[in-house]
Amino acid sequence: MASTAEDLDREQKLEGIGCARKRKEDPRFIQGKGYYVDDVQLPGTLFGAVVRSPYAHARIKSINKDKAMALPGVKAVLTAEDLKPLKLHWMPTLAGDVQAVLADEKVCFQYQEIAMVIADDRYIAADGVDLVEVEYEPLPALVDPHKAMDADAPVIREDLVGKDEAGQGKRVHNNHIFRWEVGDKAGTDKVFDGAEVTVKQAMVNPRVHPCPLETCGCVASFDKARGDLTVYMTSQAPHVIRTVVSLLSGLPESKIRIISPDIGGGFGNKVGVYPGYVVAIVASIVLGRPVKWIESRIDNLSTTAFARDYHMVGELAADKNGRIKGLRVNVLADHGAFNAHAQPTKWPAGLFSICTGSYDIPTAHVQVDGVYTNKAPGGVAYRCSFRVTEAVHLIERMIDILALKLGIDKAEIRLRNFIQPEQFPYNSALGWQYDSGNYPAALKKVMEAVDYAGLRKEQEEKRKRGELMGIGICTFTEIVGAGPSKACDVLGVGMFDSCEIRVHPTGSAIARMGTISQGQGHQTTYAQIIATELGLPSEVIQVEEGDTSTAPYGLGTYGSRSTPVGGAATAVAARKIRDKARNIAAHLLEVSPDDLDWDIDRFKVKGVPGQEKTMKEIAWAAYNNVPPGMEMGLEAVEYYDPPNFTYPFGAYVCVLDIDRYTGETKVRRFYALDDCGTRINPMIIEGQIHGGLTEAFAVAMGQLLSFDEDGNIQGNSLMDYFLPTAVETPHWETDYTVTPSPHHPLGAKGVAESPHVGGIPCFTNGVNDAFSHLGVTHIDMPHTAFSVWKTLHELGLDKRP
Amino acid sequence: MQVKLEKTFPIDAPAAAAWRVLQDIKAVAECMPGAQITEQMDDSHYKGQVKLRVGPASATFNGELEVKSLDAAEKKMEMFGKGSDTSGASAATMNLTARVRDSGDGKCELVGVSDVTVSGKMASFGGRMMNQVSDQILKQFGDNFTKRVLALGEGAAAQQAAADVAKQPKEINALALMWGVLVGFFKSLFGGGKSK
Repeated sequence: MASTAEDLDREQKLEGIGCARKRKEDPRFIQGKGYYVDDVQLPGTLFGAVVRSPYAHARIKSINKDKAMALPGVKAVLTAEDLKPLKLHWMPTLAGDVQAVLADEKVCFQYQEIAMVIADDRYIAADGVDLVEVEYEPLPALVDPHKAMDADAPVIREDLVGKDEAGQGKRVHNNHIFRWEVGDKAGTDKVFDGAEVTVKQAMVNPRVHPCPLETCGCVASFDKARGDLTVYMTSQAPHVIRTVVSLLSGLPESKIRIISPDIGGGFGNKVGVYPGYVVAIVASIVLGRPVKWIESRIDNLSTTAFARDYHMVGELAADKNGRIKGLRVNVLADHGAFNAHAQPTKWPAGLFSICTGSYDIPTAHVQVDGVYTNKAPGGVAYRCSFRVTEAVHLIERMIDILALKLGIDKAEIRLRNFIQPEQFPYNSALGWQYDSGNYPAALKKVMEAVDYAGLRKEQEEKRKRGELMGIGICTFTEIVGAGPSKACDVLGVGMFDSCEIRVHPTGSAIARMGTISQGQGHQTTYAQIIATELGLPSEVIQVEEGDTSTAPYGLGTYGSRSTPVGGAATAVAARKIRDKARNIAAHLLEVSPDDLDWDIDRFKVKGVPGQEKTMKEIAWAAYNNVPPGMEMGLEAVEYYDPPNFTYPFGAYVCVLDIDRYTGETKVRRFYALDDCGTRINPMIIEGQIHGGLTEAFAVAMGQLLSFDEDGNIQGNSLMDYFLPTAVETPHWETDYTVTPSPHHPLGAKGVAESPHVGGIPCFTNGVNDAFSHLGVTHIDMPHTAFSVWKTLHELGLDKRP
Repeated sequence: MQVKLEKTFPIDAPAAAAWRVLQDIKAVAECMPGAQITEQMDDSHYKGQVKLRVGPASATFNGELEVKSLDAAEKKMEMFGKGSDTSGASAATMNLTARVRDSGDGKCELVGVSDVTVSGKMASFGGRMMNQVSDQILKQFGDNFTKRVLALGEGAAAQQAAADVAKQPKEINALALMWGVLVGFFKSLFGGGKSK
């Protein structure tokens, strides 16, 4: 601990944990000097463009490439037939299913990949796409997941006919993928049968898309002379991709190098393996030249990785005082045409069973049925841990609905049901062990900050005047940092993460990570952890990620796992180095290691002022003067397997006003208190919260991928798809409490997804609250002006007096 | 997505003349802006194409046309068409029923009922415009049809109509079509149209 002004000064110079240090990444980004996949220019690069299906469901009768091949500059046109001899026309998914790389005799969703045209430049490739002639026989499309298991529903996956499982347990219908159950069914039914009060509500988390500003893409380069493959790729998990590419191609992993350069936003969209990547790689191997494939915006929104599409029915049983006794949830999950759900392999509904939320609910049961429809595959965690947004949405809506039924204030009912601080570690009814939290303190702090009582009074007065004002509350708990390898794996690889640190002789260092930043500021944050742990200034600590040939194996960045898992690996690796440094210092000072105290950036001999060695001095000695029997150098690597998930939480309140005549919703105030445990860089945390809240606002108020009855996707361009800009985005107020995670080396929990997860139900609760005195129980998002106006119109409120 | 349209075109010519044109499938097809019959397969099946131009870019839709019935007593023709652009990025099908109704005084009306289903880029991208665009296309179809009927008559008006038929553009000009849609939209805003 810093005790004197001199100590404080030394500590501040390190810019370690807790410092609002400016992001090291930003100078290159604000100068337009980022290096993204599409910036990669290798000599002799060819360009691939994809031929896509206009139909959601059709048989392919013929594909004629002749005209395309005749176009000067076209080098190849690859179809499923060409991939068949390589057994690459289908590929495994992360969810135990298989997916057509290029449509094999049949298309199952609109815009499905049929062929790739490889040409000298992008323009020729695009012209070539227009010349590939595909003859289709349209089939009836299945769009509504509620009709998927009807007796007469069209069969989407003919390859699975007669199979009673699709990689995720038993299935009961041709369009059924899995049934997943957790909790005590009989016990829950009993609680409901004897309950004083029950509420039940159907709700939809509609199909949306993360829509990162940079679309997906890759440059695949196979060197025929060396026999090695390099792929620059927009990937949130480069090592996993390397393993998958090796398994698919038969090339040894040591001959494959995946590089994720700067990534322009991921939000889950860049976790999966997409057909475009696979075909570009095959094309490069076949043609012996680099092949670049970059998605258009329409391709991105239509085909690579949607999120959500959860059709949920929630039920709560409670006593008259609003104390919850049981939770029952039934979910119909629309997974599209192939089950390419991004998930730890054994979790078909991700971590959805966190749906008991921040509340002490003694009994619960959840059932999720996954079904196929004629829509694009995916189901990624859009700025959240796997299916946690859906879970939080469900419980946060249900508790409001219960409050409404009982006439209890919506803040009060939460305070009556919170898991209390002394109950941690808390074992939930659905099997999770929450690490730490103080929910009542967080909510009370927010209520005071926004003058909650005053807001309710204002609302009451406005209601008397016929004005609509809503107050939304959300007190969420996330489950992030996947995950303990005993619970989580991806294709058999445990979900640890890694860090390798090398301290150079002059006291600077490089850290290489298994994670990969897509804008989270890893280069800044990880350096701060090392600075504090090793006493070296963060300014001289270089952080590298994304190159599988240099970085240690890691599972990548998604599900808020970088700080909980990668950050923990960093701290532990640094501590290994510090232990070695202690021995070197003891050798230099000719004392026993036990006689040394660590003090910010140096080891001091206990009780002997002035007898000390700084880390900088120790680093130098590590390369020329180590104790006998010790190897030279100062480096360490850590593969960190977390003992548990981390459970960040927060309390949010939004205040909004609705225009009765236009349905326009104005968010007047949004107050977000987050508790992510130990805070490493408060400025980055605040930026992440702003970003997450903005994406929550996007989902709650406008984002939607809709389909017509034939399975044609509607609104798959930025003309329709809502990406909020500074014009629409409300002003955010942020606050925090600190409840460290007891099992994380630094006490940190992860933060960037909390605002998305907690923000969405906060907006929805706010809009619903505005109508709650008018007999309205639930309105589904997105709360566009049109949607809100429809409610106003039904209530007859849009008529001017 | 599906669009259903019904439209009536008054024609200043006898019903018999209009019925004559309506039975000439090649002529009827060419009343569709940009459409052309390229091959007759048998009595009731044809192959054809529609050329579409948007600024400097052009696309060709290939398709098939089937005449499902020709009812001389009712002066009614039913046909079914389907097509897709060569790459298959967009596709469309159409059921069209056209009937000539005698309105007396040597005049008649062409009553067209169509439902059009589109998929692919056209459905995703142009979905919201489909009604207006189809309306414009049908309007041009009606104009062209009327001219062909008038051209069968005699006198200066017939000669003018025949000349107009000859000048009919060989591709749909999407920008001109959009202009038509926009004009229609503004007219409806300022109370010029039927819809409010």
